Amino acid sequence: MISLDHITKSFNGNEVIHDLSLEIPQGKTVVLIGPSGCGKSTLLRLMVGLLWPEKGNISIFQEHLTKNNIENLRQQVGFVLQDGGLFPHMTALQNMRLMADYLQHDPQKTEYRIHELCELTHISSDQLKRYPSELSGGQVQRVALMRALMLDPEILFLDEPLGALDPLNRVSLQEEMKTIFSQLGKTVVLVTHDMGEAASLADLIVIMKDGYLLQYDTLSNLSAQPADPFVTEFINAQRKPWQQLEDQIK
Amino acid sequence: MKYLILYLTAFCLGTLPICAESNLELQIGSKKFTESVILSEVITQHLQSNGVKAVHKDQLGGTRLLWKALVQGELDIYPDYTGTIIYEILQGEDISSDADIKVALARYGVSMTEPLGFNNTYALGVSPSTARKFSLKKISDLSQHPELRFGFTNEFMDREDGWPSFRDHYQLPQTSVRGLDHDLAYKGLEAGSIDLIDLYSTDAEIAYYQLSVLEDDKNYFPDYRAVILYRTDLLDREPQVQTYLNQLSGIVSETEMIKMNSDVKLDGKSEPEVAQDFLNVKFNTLSEIEISTRLSRLISTTREHLFLVCISLGAAILVAIPLGIWGAKNATLGQVILSIVGIIQTIPSLALLVFMIPLLGIGGPPALVALFLYSLLPIVRNTLSGLTGIPLDIQESARVLGLPASARLRLIEIPLATRSILAGIKTSAVINVGTATLGALIGAGGYGQPILTGIRLDDTSLILEGAIPAAVLALLVQWSFDFAERTLLSPGLQTKQETSS
Repeated sequence: MISLDHITKSFNGNEVIHDLSLEIPQGKTVVLIGPSGCGKSTLLRLMVGLLWPEKGNISIFQEHLTKNNIENLRQQVGFVLQDGGLFPHMTALQNMRLMADYLQHDPQKTEYRIHELCELTHISSDQLKRYPSELSGGQVQRVALMRALMLDPEILFLDEPLGALDPLNRVSLQEEMKTIFSQLGKTVVLVTHDMGEAASLADLIVIMKDGYLLQYDTLSNLSAQPADPFVTEFINAQRKPWQQLEDQIK
Repeated sequence: MKYLILYLTAFCLGTLPICAESNLELQIGSKKFTESVILSEVITQHLQSNGVKAVHKDQLGGTRLLWKALVQGELDIYPDYTGTIIYEILQGEDISSDADIKVALARYGVSMTEPLGFNNTYALGVSPSTARKFSLKKISDLSQHPELRFGFTNEFMDREDGWPSFRDHYQLPQTSVRGLDHDLAYKGLEAGSIDLIDLYSTDAEIAYYQLSVLEDDKNYFPDYRAVILYRTDLLDREPQVQTYLNQLSGIVSETEMIKMNSDVKLDGKSEPEVAQDFLNVKFNTLSEIEISTRLSRLISTTREHLFLVCISLGAAILVAIPLGIWGAKNATLGQVILSIVGIIQTIPSLALLVFMIPLLGIGGPPALVALFLYSLLPIVRNTLSGLTGIPLDIQESARVLGLPASARLRLIEIPLATRSILAGIKTSAVINVGTATLGALIGAGGYGQPILTGIRLDDTSLILEGAIPAAVLALLVQWSFDFAERTLLSPGLQTKQETSS
């Protein structure tokens, strides 16, 4: 579905992605994870042409990304930013409808789709009349997800979608997203630094460090057969609070 | 955004129909001092009473401006003085007689009448107390008192026969010399902030303030006999005009001129009235003059002012917003654009107006262009900063939806920059309302007209007649933009008074 072929990317002469290759299969949820500065968000931005690599090719739906086809391809994928990226001058509803109306889709179908997505994400039509500044963080992310799903894209990209939420909202929205992803059966690429989130949502996990892909596998394989000591270290570091708690209980 | 444009277009079009102007009338100009206004009024009424269509463009500015306007055909007629013609207009040419002047003027397509009668030369005056204290009688007495502070008209400071060569002629030691407006000079002298000023010998104030005029004992000042300058091609267009102009030669004595100046400046009569009285005595004609009421003046100055502000601001908006957008898309270009409009902003407004005259003549067009140029910077800068200030995640979010650049601009970027753009337009508009008062200096009218006349006649109520409406207009502009902001700006961007439920 998405294929990255020997990608290199630098900022101001500093190489931040080194000769990285990656295949993302259709219908799977793939989580890109790693410490801050590992290049995971950069990789995500490369996949939608917000950034362009110096070397290597990226293809979506077997089509090479170029500056010419990027706008067309973007209309076939959904993208959710960390803070939602909702346009503050539009209501939640206007944010959702923007692309459908711009592309002059049948209004009736658009209405139906909105209704469908409201049920999926538990947003009321009353909340849709509000401006982003009048919504809670969790509601903003739900609306952002609905906006991304509006045109029924094959692929959904999410850049730390839960990163700005408080822990309680985080857990509940994480559970909801898990349900939504499994209901929709779409290809999902999600960036996070939270191992718990990755463990809960991912079919496959990409562990990155300093611009290198360390390992790309299922969670159980990452635990059982780590390709690098950092993989174990990273997984365990994030488990620590729980482990300490378990130890105390014992 | 479309509402913004619609709103402003409607605002501007509303004032358009008033710009129609007839070019068939003879244009008679005057400088911005009372005597010149009276003489031009005499000329205008005399022509009118003989059936010639003529209009008086009063108090346009100084000699250079009037002369340029005459040579370029913006004006047909204006009165001047032989000394001014020799030493300022024909500077550097070898001229010893009126015949020489006529020959020299002919090269510019300009003709001159015989002198009107009086001689209004430069003189130097001091207050009676200063005269006593330093026992000053003659100009050469000044060389003993280097501490005296001089205040001269800007024209006298600069012109060939002015201060520098005057100082050399009399070997004067004074160094404290300021340039200031003639009408303000009397005030300065009375207040004691200066000790000596230059005068015109027919000034009404000499008697009023009981000034001591110092004797020109080394015969420095030349004759300043009043004459009428007119375009020679006038003889083809309106041949009879020459006869009427010549009828005015030799009929204004020095006493009569001082009396007319004093009627206006000290007794508060209007120039048209004074001119009418004079012509009535001399030719037994009674020309019709329009007595303007305060209200009718207010209406016409308001129209002129709105015309200047709306057209120049409207054009500036149409140009500056695209410039700002352009600059926001390309940082280098943005810097270049900002530098250029920034430099324009630093040109003194009076200088800019004068630069415009060779290109656009006098009246509305040069004022409009100058105001347009001054309105650019705030709008360009605010458009640019409004667009570049949009948070990165919002910009990414718009791109990643797959919206093309033009649609991003229209649907996302411009609406988000609206507050900043409106603030820029508001700043421009308020500055524009103030600067437009300077339009009166080049015949564009507006609230500057009563202010200018008020300063000249030392009439506070007349100054306020221009200053108050200008202030009110600035406030109205402010309010209308605050209203526009509330109407145009998305509720999602307005600062919330109440917390969301």
